[in-house]
Amino acid sequence: MKTNYHQDVDTVSEYSQLSAWKSASTGDRLNVVYGLTVVLVVVVSYVLGAFSWLPHDPEAMDLDTMMAGPFTNGYLLGTDFMGRDILTRLILGIQAYFLPGVLAVIIALGLGSLLGVLSGYWRRRFEALVTYFANLIDSLPRLVLMLLVIAAFRPNIYTIMVVFGITTAPTIAMLVKGKVMMLRERNFIESAVALGLSPGVIIFKHILWYNCRALLLIQATIGMAEAVLIETSLSYLGFGVQEPTPSWGNMVQAGANYLLQGNFWPSTAPAIAIMLTVLGFHLLGDGLNNILEGRQNR
Amino acid sequence: MKKIQTRMFWMLVVMFGLALGHTAAYADAAPASANKGSGLSYGEYGRPTTLDPITSNDMISMRITELLFNGLVGINNKQQIVPELAESWDQSADGLEYTFHLRKDVKWHPKSGEEAKPFTADDVVFTYNIMMHPRTVTPLKVRYEFVSEVKKLDANTVRFTLKRPIMNALPKFTFKIIPEFGPANAAFLGRDDPFVQNPIGTGPYRYKETTANGEIVLEANPDYFKGAPKITRFVAKPFADQNIMNQALMYGSIDMSVLVNPRNVPEIQGDKRLRLQSYSALSYQFFGYNTRNPLLADKRVRKAFTLAINRSEMLSSFFNNQGTVISGPFAPGSWAYNLDVKPLPYDIEAAEKLLSQAGFKKGSDGVMVKDGKRLALTLKVPIAQESESVKRVVLAFKIYLRRVGADINVEFLEWQAWKEAVFANHDFDIMFASWVFDDSADISSLFHSGEIGAWRNNFGGYSNPEVDSLLVEAKNTLDHEKRRTIYRKLHERLADEAPYTFLWTLTNYAAYDRKVRAVQIHPYKFFPYADTWYIGEGGDDKADAPAPTKAK
Repeated sequence: MKTNYHQDVDTVSEYSQLSAWKSASTGDRLNVVYGLTVVLVVVVSYVLGAFSWLPHDPEAMDLDTMMAGPFTNGYLLGTDFMGRDILTRLILGIQAYFLPGVLAVIIALGLGSLLGVLSGYWRRRFEALVTYFANLIDSLPRLVLMLLVIAAFRPNIYTIMVVFGITTAPTIAMLVKGKVMMLRERNFIESAVALGLSPGVIIFKHILWYNCRALLLIQATIGMAEAVLIETSLSYLGFGVQEPTPSWGNMVQAGANYLLQGNFWPSTAPAIAIMLTVLGFHLLGDGLNNILEGRQNR
Repeated sequence: MKKIQTRMFWMLVVMFGLALGHTAAYADAAPASANKGSGLSYGEYGRPTTLDPITSNDMISMRITELLFNGLVGINNKQQIVPELAESWDQSADGLEYTFHLRKDVKWHPKSGEEAKPFTADDVVFTYNIMMHPRTVTPLKVRYEFVSEVKKLDANTVRFTLKRPIMNALPKFTFKIIPEFGPANAAFLGRDDPFVQNPIGTGPYRYKETTANGEIVLEANPDYFKGAPKITRFVAKPFADQNIMNQALMYGSIDMSVLVNPRNVPEIQGDKRLRLQSYSALSYQFFGYNTRNPLLADKRVRKAFTLAINRSEMLSSFFNNQGTVISGPFAPGSWAYNLDVKPLPYDIEAAEKLLSQAGFKKGSDGVMVKDGKRLALTLKVPIAQESESVKRVVLAFKIYLRRVGADINVEFLEWQAWKEAVFANHDFDIMFASWVFDDSADISSLFHSGEIGAWRNNFGGYSNPEVDSLLVEAKNTLDHEKRRTIYRKLHERLADEAPYTFLWTLTNYAAYDRKVRAVQIHPYKFFPYADTWYIGEGGDDKADAPAPTKAK
């Protein structure tokens, strides 16, 4: 008996995701395809870097070929101020933000959904408390908080990303809360409650998995874009990854010293990489948002 | 035991560290009003921390005090002692007493609305006493321990009594005199005293104001005892970035840059409006080793490191060849430098041979191992934005040493943290820095084993009895030629011992608009002759650059 109910309830969701892709606009589809390509490139590069399958030694210097443009002497993307291969360092620079970014996103999503569900599902008990907590975190400027953490501990990208995750959580909590409050009133949740399903099953399966995963996925892509920006900005300022370990941020910074002498390439190459990546994550999030969330009621 | 006297004017510059903590200043795109008329504005990389001659210990502050203050005696551009606040002096036969007869026509810069006060012997005694007070924070104290007493004989005569005769004592009396009525606290001078930001001196320029964006404005002292200076205003403009400072010079918003980055030299040479002038500071850059680490206690390892790095390649790639590779502990411009000792060549094979003689074998990961210990070391470097060339040097050092199987971990530290790690806690294996010397070329505080300890200059804990005795011998001799011979021997010993990897002396360049004429630059004080500079209009200055004559 119970199995039947499950199957019935299984198919009940706010909308069907398959048809959403078919009804999406070309622009949104392009955004998503571009975004997914960026994600693929980032992931593949991350794996390459992790196994050190690189075109050159990232630290080997070539003082005869310093600050060369692309396609010089077998350096596909040219060399930096020490004559090191820029392509290799770009690939390796992904190590600097990939895992920390994923960690930050996991923290933000986990904490955000927890708070959102608590306050949306058991409003009477938790709403005031969670709202207070969210306001408290929101009232602290994020960058100041990060600089405080840097001052208190050693500059470490993981601690910074934990701060980033925690400070992003309230935004996600508010989104999830809104969604949960809305779903709470819907017939299929009410019937699930009436049928005696445990709150755990209702929340994790019927609310979060079936109905919030699109929202969380979108937030994850935007969070990742933010994480890339934060890591590169901090490395640019000298608080993140230190030379000789490459990060896109410290590559831009190091190259900027030579910008006014006409050597624009060593800082432009990582800057373009940052731009394309952040754009990719944002467009992916935007496209998914339009396809999965925004136009669901059309 | 008495502290070994350091009779040298050493200064740890590590030039890039100075400006840490200074806030950014921005160059105006349009020429500033300070350029108009016959004023001169010059760019500095950072702000001076203090404007008085006693507490200041960075080059930016020291340069500006040259414009504001005078010493009893001065040094002219031929390295001769010339009268300044003292018009003459006598030296007792035993070399223990120096009596200075002061000028009677010198007046302190007046405070606004007040009469200018005369300069007297009391000010000299006061300056010496406040300088030597235990609570005064000054790098000068160690230089003047040889003085036992300063006495005012009459209003214009003052006598210094020495504890023992020392060689070449007169140049020591170039220290700058401050007025007795200046500091709010007459006992000792701290950096919180209002005087350090509102200096009153006797010099060619008076302090006028510090603007909201950190520019320091000085105006000419019409009553200057050597005659009113020709340039009516000096403005020191702080910059947070050398690139911006260079652009400011190129676009005319400053008239002079006191230190040009080597990589900007070609650009400035190509600009007809600007003139580039080199001045050789007695300084050099080096990697210092912590000999407390058993791996580095062996001189063969230190020497192997020196052999393994290609200093001339770095000099040409990173500094446009603007400098000289050195072999030992003196600056090449100094009389103490031994030209017979040649810098070690770049020779990887010799380096590997020395390492294997020292008992190292290549491990499985390519890093040398001795008795189960990997040759893995930490190189500590202070961070700063300016240090881009430093960054290249230390990264190249790491790569060079990797080729001979040494694993160097480069750690960039904030300036204060770096100083504590290196000088107080000795928590480092290798450090990168530079020393600046005065003409006495005294290196005893760097290598004498009595100078080992927290905040002492022998940070590497280097100790060698032969070097110790040579240093003491050099200090005790009163004969210049003899000291020179000892220094030549020391140079040879230290080149072989390699407590440092001596790198190079860089050529310093100042650049300025050609309208500034008769420019003479002192190697490390920079501005002592600025009272005779002047602003010319039109044409070139080739014809009208007479050697400045010092007024008596």
